[in-house]
Amino acid sequence: MKLNVTHRRIRFRAGALSIIMATSAVLLGGGPAQGVEQVTITFSYLWGGNGPEAKAIDAVIADFNKSQSAIHVVGISSPDFQKQLTSMSSSNGSFDISDHFGNNVGSWAAKGILEPLDGYLAENNIVLKDFAPSALEQMRYKGKLYSLPIASHTQELLYNKDLLAAAGIQPPKTMTQLASAIIKLTKRNSKGKITRLGLGIPDAGTLLTTLGQAFGGAWDGKANNTPTPTDPKIIKALDWYTKNVTKRYGASNLSAFKSGLGQYMSAQDPFYTGKIAMVIDGEWQAVNIPKVAPKLNWGVVNIPAYDRKLAGTTQVSTSTLFIPANSKHKKEAATFLAYMMADKPMTDFTMALGNLPSKISLLANPIYKSIPNFQIWLNALKSPNAKSLSSTPYSAQYSADLSIAFDAILRGVSTPKDALNSVAKKATSYNEG
Amino acid sequence: MRRNVRRQTLLGLAFASPFIVGSLVFIIYPVLASGWYSFTDFNLFQSPKFIWFKNYQHMFLDTTFWKSLSNTVFLTLFGVPLTILIALAGAHIMNLPVRGQPLYRALIYLPTVVPVVVGGYLWRWLLNTEYGFVNYFLSLLHLPQPEWLEQPDWGKPAIIVMSLWVIGGTMIIYLAALKDVPEDLYEAAQLDGAGWVSRFRYVTWPTLSPVTLFQIIVTMIAYLQIFAQPYLLTQTRLNAASSGPGESMISYSMYLYQNAFVFLKMGYASAMAWVLFLVTLLITLVLLKTSKRWVHYDSERG
Repeated sequence: MKLNVTHRRIRFRAGALSIIMATSAVLLGGGPAQGVEQVTITFSYLWGGNGPEAKAIDAVIADFNKSQSAIHVVGISSPDFQKQLTSMSSSNGSFDISDHFGNNVGSWAAKGILEPLDGYLAENNIVLKDFAPSALEQMRYKGKLYSLPIASHTQELLYNKDLLAAAGIQPPKTMTQLASAIIKLTKRNSKGKITRLGLGIPDAGTLLTTLGQAFGGAWDGKANNTPTPTDPKIIKALDWYTKNVTKRYGASNLSAFKSGLGQYMSAQDPFYTGKIAMVIDGEWQAVNIPKVAPKLNWGVVNIPAYDRKLAGTTQVSTSTLFIPANSKHKKEAATFLAYMMADKPMTDFTMALGNLPSKISLLANPIYKSIPNFQIWLNALKSPNAKSLSSTPYSAQYSADLSIAFDAILRGVSTPKDALNSVAKKATSYNEG
Repeated sequence: MRRNVRRQTLLGLAFASPFIVGSLVFIIYPVLASGWYSFTDFNLFQSPKFIWFKNYQHMFLDTTFWKSLSNTVFLTLFGVPLTILIALAGAHIMNLPVRGQPLYRALIYLPTVVPVVVGGYLWRWLLNTEYGFVNYFLSLLHLPQPEWLEQPDWGKPAIIVMSLWVIGGTMIIYLAALKDVPEDLYEAAQLDGAGWVSRFRYVTWPTLSPVTLFQIIVTMIAYLQIFAQPYLLTQTRLNAASSGPGESMISYSMYLYQNAFVFLKMGYASAMAWVLFLVTLLITLVLLKTSKRWVHYDSERG
């Protein structure tokens, strides 16, 4: 009996509460926006769920969700390239906006899986003029815009101040000075084994393609639809490297040295431990070095110029945001994409990652001054000699074939001319299959 | 009576339907679809375009295709005999009546339960020229310490070493088969004055031969399809195609994967899959044909 009374009371109270809640919702205008149904969109990003990147994105998403009530963004960390592709292959995608890299835009755009963004620019106040031209170049395919760069990256020459001072040299400004610095900084023991290398190779592809550009070479034809690996200036650059490093110290000696090096960007990174005196690398090092190797006394200068006209040459790469063609909420995704490209979100995001903003107007933002030596990478993005590798349907295959050629050059089994000729031969079949 | 038979048949089919539907949807259809795609230009997102035999023709001119094929043949030719030899020797050792025998068996089998990705990253460190344990032990024995993952000559041996690490499964199958060798045959051979070599040659080997045939076929297929080990040992950046020094470590399946999911050439990848299937089928048929000469089944014992 007592039990029945209690039940009845609870039911009565619950009913009363529901009536009160419903009435107040009607009176106060409950829900996200009066008369407008809130649209939920999914932002699936490749950055790992526990890393600083994901935290930065979550903070930007939270700010966006607070700033308005028409669109609700749900962020999902999904660091799986294949899953991203699979989702875009069906008519019903699992996300409305996602991220990738600039070198992929051409390939995906050609396959019709990216939504062209040109139609969304004006209504969302996106001003393309402000974006670094080299960064924007990778976003286009056949005249249409398919992605926007949330962050950019440039390459510069990092050096170990203590090692250069001990060798009595200044940071190199020309290719001749760089060659001489490599000789002075490379050390061998009595058996001829390399114990320290003047110029390191964290990634052969990035180093050699950047050197090619620093000598004035172009890796793709002007129309960006033909690979040009045998550009004479590229061959000159790779010959320079072969003469000053591979042949001088011996490919097998270099390979033995390389095989014993610690992991890139870890505490055992050879540049951090002084096993490598100089290295051409990206701006992320400015954030990583103080964290992992705080005692390293390092500096950074522009990549040495082959001639005056080529001063300030750097290779630009990009991290992009795009809307898949199978998104059901493209308009809303474009609104959020535009928000991500606004000054504050882009600054917050790039600061958290230690990357460069893609907009020229943000390069002078004092917030970046807190990162040591960052200015040189920031300025490089403005350089007229800042170049990106083109983003074409064949980019992945071209990059794979170049890796094979670079490997043959670095192992001394092929001359740059022969190796790059073989790439040119393979490139003739890029459009098959 | 006829109605009863029909009922029985329908009932049988109903019971077998999970398998029938499953294999139709997940095996037969994908196999046939890949056959169709192999004659098309297909990038996963747009409709396939029929191009006759162009994908198959392209293989003849594709140097990386031949390199991946020759690497895979090398791995199979050396990997299969080594696996059989070591597994057989290991099974004999594990069969010795010593104290702690179950513990040794468990230890040998342990690497098999380690996920292959974990094993891959572990071996990258073990094979590091300067800091790796493998070269450390070689230095203790005053043996040369190769640059495993840097020199084209050592890339494939590194893959074989990593594959042999998970030999426990093959060894356990041999061990179970060894238990089945009839004791009376050994006793008879011993009475005839046979030494251990003769006992192995005339008793153990023939009795184990059906199991050996099974092991050879299964190991051969595994080597022809080898993917995870070379992929993990050569991996540089996520989703970028890598092939080891001098393309020495790119296996057939790795190149197939690169074509399908990195270059998005699904048509060419399907053609490659069919070539691999036909090669595997052909070798298996040859093995089965020759097996009549050296495989002895229990029923033949008279």
